[in-house]
Amino acid sequence: MTSTTTSTPPVASAPQEPRSTGAGARRRRLRDLRFALLMAAPALVVIVLLLGYPMGYALYVSGFDWNDKIPGDRPFVGLGNYVDLLGDGQVHRALGRTLLFAAVTVLGGVGMAVLLAVLLNVDFRGRTLARVLLLVPWAVPPVVNGIMWKLIFDGATGVVNAVGLGLGLFRERVQFLADPQLTMNVLIFAEMWKLLPFLTLLMLAGLQGIPANVYKAARIDGASPWQQFVRVTVPNLRGPILFALVVQTMWSLKVFDTIFVLTGGSGGPAEGTTTLSFLTYLVSFSNLDRGYGAAIAVASMVLVLAFALLWVLLLRDRHKEGVR
Amino acid sequence: MSRARTRLARTVVHRVLVALLLVYLLAPFAWMLLYSLYPATALQTLTPDLDPSQIRLDSYAALLSDPSFLTPMANSAVVGLATTVLCMVLGSGCAYVIARYRFRGRSVLLLGMLTVQAVPVIVLAVPLFILLRAFGQYDTLLGLVITYTAFILPLVVWMMVGFFEELPPSLERAAVVDGCNRLQIMTRIAVPLAAPGLAAAAVLAFITAWSDFFLAKVLTITSATTLPVRTAAFQGLFAMDYTSAATAGVITAAPVLLLALVAQKWIIRGLVEGAVKG
Repeated sequence: MTSTTTSTPPVASAPQEPRSTGAGARRRRLRDLRFALLMAAPALVVIVLLLGYPMGYALYVSGFDWNDKIPGDRPFVGLGNYVDLLGDGQVHRALGRTLLFAAVTVLGGVGMAVLLAVLLNVDFRGRTLARVLLLVPWAVPPVVNGIMWKLIFDGATGVVNAVGLGLGLFRERVQFLADPQLTMNVLIFAEMWKLLPFLTLLMLAGLQGIPANVYKAARIDGASPWQQFVRVTVPNLRGPILFALVVQTMWSLKVFDTIFVLTGGSGGPAEGTTTLSFLTYLVSFSNLDRGYGAAIAVASMVLVLAFALLWVLLLRDRHKEGVR
Repeated sequence: MSRARTRLARTVVHRVLVALLLVYLLAPFAWMLLYSLYPATALQTLTPDLDPSQIRLDSYAALLSDPSFLTPMANSAVVGLATTVLCMVLGSGCAYVIARYRFRGRSVLLLGMLTVQAVPVIVLAVPLFILLRAFGQYDTLLGLVITYTAFILPLVVWMMVGFFEELPPSLERAAVVDGCNRLQIMTRIAVPLAAPGLAAAAVLAFITAWSDFFLAKVLTITSATTLPVRTAAFQGLFAMDYTSAATAGVITAAPVLLLALVAQKWIIRGLVEGAVKG
C-alpha cells in the first residue's frame, strides 16, 4: 500500500555510477551518506521529539494513578488503569458509541463513495465542476462544520424544524441536539458530509484506472450493468477501497472537533456523543485524571491499529490483482 | 424507439441525481453564508425571505474590526504559513532520501509515517503541554508551529515519497554524469519535476494547520489563540449568537476553501490519485 513496487528504479546514487573502485568511490559513498543523513535527520528529529517522546510519555503516565485534582503522591499501578478500564461502564458505553459511529461512517462512507464515484464517472457536461465541488466539504474546517450543522438542526431556530413544521412532517419542534440518540445521528450526518467527498474522489481515481475494454468485454459476454458493477467495478477498486477503509477508520476513531462544537464541549446530551476520544478528553482535561485518560487513549490507539490490520488482512491477498 | 426512451430516462435520472448531490455538497455552507448576511429571523421559516435589500454586512464589519477576532486570525495565518514552509523544507529532503536510497528499515519507516495518523491527538496533548511549557513555548506561535509541523510532517513525507518515486531516475543519473552533487540534483531536478505533487502536499499542510482546533485549544490560551478556537467560542452550551457564529464560520472557512478550489487540480492529482496508486 505504501510503496509503488513497479521495477524498483535504479537508485541514482553511488552504486550504479560507472564501477569506480578504491578511495574515490568510498569518498563518494561517504558523501552520499552524509547527504542522506543531513536531509532526513531534521524531519525525523522533529517527529521523534514531538510525537515519539509524548507517546512514550503517555504510555508512562498510563501506568500511574495520576490525578492532578488530588495533590500528593502518584503511585505506580502498573496495568491497574487498564484493568479498571475493562470494568468501567462509561468506557464500555463510549466504546459502543465509537464502534457505532465508526461502523456507519467507515462502511457507509466507503460504500456510498463507491456509488457516488460511479455516478460521477459518466461523461457529462459539468463533470469537472462536480469533481471540484467535492472539495468544498473536504476543505471546510471541522469547527465550521459543527457550527454549520448546529445552525441547521437547532431545536428552536434550525431550518430543519422550520421545514418539518411548515410541511406538517413534525407535530412539534424536534430537539435534535437535546436527545442523545438524535444528537449522535446529527453527528454522523455532519461527519458523513465532510468525509464522503474525499472518499468519492479516491474511488473516482480508482475507477479511472480501470481500462474501458474490460467493460466492453463484460458487455459482450452479456453482463448486466449490475453484474458489471459487482464483477468488474468493485474487484478493480480493491486497492482504493482498502486504502479508504484504513484511513477512514483512523479518522473516524479520532473524531473530536465536530463533537466539541456540536455539543458545546460536553459530549452530551447525557454523554450521548461521548466517543472514546471525547471520553479521553473529558477524563484528562475535566477530571484531570491524567493516568486514566492516558490509558483510555493508549487503548483506543491499539483499537485503531487492530482495525487497520484487520482491513489489510481481509483485503490484501486480492489487492495484488486489483489496481496494479 | 423504446431503447432511445430508456436511454433518455436513464440520462434524466442521472442528471437529477447529480444535481441532488451538488445541492447536498453546497447547501449547508450556502446556508451558513446566508445566515451571516441576513437577519436570523428572515431565515428561520419555511419560506426564507431572501430579499437582497435585507442583506447586512454588519456582522462582518463587527468581527473584522474586533481585535479579539483579528489577533487569532493573524495568528492562524502566521502559523499556517510557517508550518507549511517548515513542512516543505524538512519534508522534501527527508522524502527524497527515502525515495532514492535503499536502506534497512525503509519500509518500516514509511509504514510508520502512515501509522502516526492513527495516533489520537488527545493522547499527546498532556505530554505536549508539559513539554512546551518546559521550553517556555506554551501559548506561543512558535510552539504551535513546531507542534503542527511534527504532526503534519509524516503525512507530507509519505505523500512526497510517492511523488519522488514516480520521477524517472534517468534524468538524475544524467545530472550525476554532468557533475552535479546530490543537493543540486535534488533541488534543481527532482524538486522542480515533482512540483505539482509537492504543491498538493503544501496545500494539505496549510489546510491541516489552519483547521486544527484541538491542539490550539490545549496549547494556547490567549496570545497565540487561533481562528478555529475563537470561532468555536461563539458556540456556547445554551445560547448562541447565530449571525456572529455564522460569520466567523464563513471567515474561518473562506481561505482554505478558496485555496482548495484554486489548487483543485493539484489536490486531486497529488492527494487522491497519488494515494490510490501508492
